[in-house]
Amino acid sequence: MFANLLKPTRRALLALAAAAALSPSLASAQTDYPNKTITFICAFPAGSGADVLVRYFAERVSKVAGQTIIVENKPGANGNIAAEYTARAKPDGYTVYVHAGNSTAANMWLFKKPPIDVAKDLRGVQFINKQPFMIAVRKDSPVRDINDLTALIKEKGGDASYATTATSGKVLGAVYLQLAGLQAVEVPYSTGPDALNDIMSGALDFAVLDPVFALSQQREGSIRILAVSSPERMKSTPDIPTMKEYGVNIDQLGWWGVFVPTGTPDDVVNKLNALFREVLETPETEKFLNGFGGDVFIGTPEEVQDLLVKTVEQWRGYVELAKIPQN
Amino acid sequence: MEVFEHLATGFLAAGSLQNLMFCFIGVLLGTLIGVLPGIGPIPALAILLPITFGLDPLSALIMLAGIYYGAQYGGSTTSILVNMPGEASSVVTCIDGHQMAKRGRAGAALAIAAVGSFFAGTIGTIFIAAFGPPLSAIAQQFTSPDYFALMLLGLIMAVVLAHGAVLKAIAMVLIGLLLGLVGTDINTGLTRYTFGISGLWEGIEFLPLVLGLFGIVEIIRNLENPPPPREPINTKFRDLMPNRQEIREAYPAAIRGTGLGSILGILPGGGAVLAAFASYTLEKKISRKPAKFGSGAVEGVAGPEAANNAAAQTSFIPLLTLGIPSNPVMAIMMGAMIIQGIQPGAAVMTTRPDLFWGMVASMWIGNLMLVIINLPLIGMWVRLLSVPYRLLYPAILLFCAIGVYSTSTEPFMMVLMIVFLIFGYILLKLGCEPAPLVLGFILGPLMEENLRRSLVISRGDPMVFLERPISACLLVAAVLMIMLIIFPQFRKKREEAFQEE
Repeated sequence: MFANLLKPTRRALLALAAAAALSPSLASAQTDYPNKTITFICAFPAGSGADVLVRYFAERVSKVAGQTIIVENKPGANGNIAAEYTARAKPDGYTVYVHAGNSTAANMWLFKKPPIDVAKDLRGVQFINKQPFMIAVRKDSPVRDINDLTALIKEKGGDASYATTATSGKVLGAVYLQLAGLQAVEVPYSTGPDALNDIMSGALDFAVLDPVFALSQQREGSIRILAVSSPERMKSTPDIPTMKEYGVNIDQLGWWGVFVPTGTPDDVVNKLNALFREVLETPETEKFLNGFGGDVFIGTPEEVQDLLVKTVEQWRGYVELAKIPQN
Repeated sequence: MEVFEHLATGFLAAGSLQNLMFCFIGVLLGTLIGVLPGIGPIPALAILLPITFGLDPLSALIMLAGIYYGAQYGGSTTSILVNMPGEASSVVTCIDGHQMAKRGRAGAALAIAAVGSFFAGTIGTIFIAAFGPPLSAIAQQFTSPDYFALMLLGLIMAVVLAHGAVLKAIAMVLIGLLLGLVGTDINTGLTRYTFGISGLWEGIEFLPLVLGLFGIVEIIRNLENPPPPREPINTKFRDLMPNRQEIREAYPAAIRGTGLGSILGILPGGGAVLAAFASYTLEKKISRKPAKFGSGAVEGVAGPEAANNAAAQTSFIPLLTLGIPSNPVMAIMMGAMIIQGIQPGAAVMTTRPDLFWGMVASMWIGNLMLVIINLPLIGMWVRLLSVPYRLLYPAILLFCAIGVYSTSTEPFMMVLMIVFLIFGYILLKLGCEPAPLVLGFILGPLMEENLRRSLVISRGDPMVFLERPISACLLVAAVLMIMLIIFPQFRKKREEAFQEE
C-alpha cells in the first residue's frame, strides 16, 4: 500500500509536469476563473456521436474545474449556427465551443457568406484529438496497397468509381486523384454503413471513409484500410501507413479543438487550456478518444490558433480542388 | 442452437434492473395511451420521444417498443368494457368484445384478449429470433438499386393498404417525399428548398414534424369532437376465467391470428391495424356460424387481438434487418434510433448484438409484464377514463413544446412545429390521414440517394434496376401492387375490407 503511494505513476508525473509548466502564468494572473456555471456549445443534436464526445469533456472538465458545466446543443448549418453563437457570446470564458477545427475552418469556404471570420472571431484554447480519413478497399479486392490502387485506377481509365462520406472524404478522394494524376467517378454517401453493401458487392473500387467506421469494419473483416491521410502514422493505428509513404503528398488531418470568443483574456484562456489538458492526459480520455478513431492531441493556445489559421488556408484550396459548390 | 445463444445474450441485456424498469415504464405508458381514447401510438411515441434522449440506446428503444405493443393491449380493455377503441387496431375488438361484455362475459373477453396477445407476443418474439439473422444475411447483399426497389415497393404497399381514399394516400406519400427533399443535397452539397433559413440546412427536423402533425392535431381533433362519456361495464377479477366452450373456440382463432399477424407485420405497409382487420375477416369467413359475429363471437376477440400483437412484434424485422420502416410507427422508431446514433440496418445485429437481441428479449418480457399488470389493474385503467380533458390536454401540449425545444434550443424548431400543426389541421379538415406522409418523409431522401447512386455507378444506365435479381423481383412486385389498385375487382374488395371500421 505504501509502496504504491510512493511509486510515481506516469499520471502523477504528468500532472506534476503540467502544474510546473503552468504555475508561472497562474501565479501572475491570479484569476478566479471559473467561478460560475460554464456552457459548452455542441454543434450536433443531443444524443449524436459527437454530442457524446462533448458531454464526456463537459463531465470531466467540470470535475477538475469544480464548476457545473452544461451542454447546449445548437445544431444546424454545418456548425455555422453554433460557431456564430460562440463568436457573439460574452468573451469571459463561460461560453466554450467544442467542435471539429477542420469543419469550422472549412465553413469559411463552403458558404458564400460565412457568418463569421473563423480565425479572427474565434480564439483557440486547446486541442482534443486528431483523426485522419482513411482509404480502404473491400476485403477480397486484389488491391494490396496504394500503389496497386493507383495502378488499377490508371488501368480502368476514367471508369473506376469510389465511395466517399462527409466533406473530408470528398476532399481526400479528390486530392489523391489529382496528386496521382488519375480520374474516377465519385459516389457520395451520407454515412459509412450506407456505403458498405455497395463496397462489398464490388461495384466500387475503393472508398474514402471516416476512421470510426473504417476501423470497426476492418475489425469485422469486411474491408482493408490501405492508408491514412495524416502526415504521420497514428499512435492508435501504428500498422496503417500514410499516403505520404507511397509518395502521395497528402497532409489532411481532422482535429477537434476548444474555442472561445476572440476577446477572451489570456489568463482565462490559459486556465481553460490547463483544465482541458488535465482531462486529456488521463488514460481514460486516451481510451475514449481512441474509440473515435484518433489520438489525443494536446497543445498551447497559440498552437491551436496557428493550426486553425493553417487549416482555413488549406481548405480554400481543397474546396476549389474537390469542386465543392458554395451555399 | 445459435438462436437460443442469441436470445440468452438478449435476456441478459434486457434483464438488467435498469432495462426492466424502462420496459415496465414503457408498457405502463403504452397501456395508458391505449386506454385513453384519442391518443394513438403514433402521437404517443412522438410525444414521448424526447424523454428517451438522455437514456442509453437500448433502454430508450426498449421503452419505445414497450409503448407501442403496450398500446395494443390497453386499447382492447376499453374496447371491451366501454365499446370505445383506445387506438385503431382495437376497433375490431369492439365489435364482438363489447357484445360479450354485455352478455356478462366481460371478464372472459378481457382474459382471452390478454392471453391471446401474450401467446402471439411469444410467437412473434420467436419469429424475430428465427427470421432476423437469415433476413439480415440477405440484407447484406442489398446494393443501391435493390434498396431503391425495396423502398418503392414499400411506398406503394403503404398506399394500397392505407385507410380511406387511394388518391389521398398517394398525395400524402408525395408530400412526404417532397418534404424529405428539403436540405443539403448529398451529391452536390448544395441546399434545396431552404429559402435561406439556416434551420432547414440539414433538412426538416423529424420531431417538430411528427409532434405538429400528430401530437397537437390529435388534441384539436378531440376538442372539436369531444369523445362522448360512456358507462363502463363493471367487472371483477374473479370473473376473468373463460369457460370451456370459450377456450375451445378461442385458441384456434388465436393461433390463426398469430400466424396471419406475424406475416402481415413483416410486409412493407403492414402492421397491427391491418393484421387485426385481416384476422377478423378471416375468422368470419371460415367460421361455421358466421351469423354469430357481431353478437359476441369469441373468435372475433381472440383472432384480431392475437394478430395485432403478433404484427406489432414482427414489424420490427424489416427495420432491424433492412433499415427500412414498414409502417409509420416503425418510421418513428427509426427516427429514435438515428437520434441515438444508431443507423438501423443489417449492421445492428453484428455490431450491436446486445441491442438487437436485448430489444427482442425485452418484447417478450414486456408482454409477460402486460398480462401481469393488466388483468388485476383493469378497474384502475377504466377509472382513468374519467381524467378530465382540461387537465390532460394542456399537459400534452406542454410536453410537446418542451420536447421540441430541448432537443435543439432553436426557437425556429417551435415555429416549424406550429407550421406542421397548421398543416396537420388542414389535412384533418380535408380528411387526409397523415401517416403515409411520415413514411414518405423518412423514405424520400433515402430513395433519392439510392436512385442517384445506382445511376452514377451504372453510368446512367437505368437497366441496372432490372439486371440485379433482387431489385428486379421487387420491382415486379411493385408493378403487381399497382395493378391491384387499378383493377376494379380488387379495389372493391379493398373498400369492403376497410368499411367495417
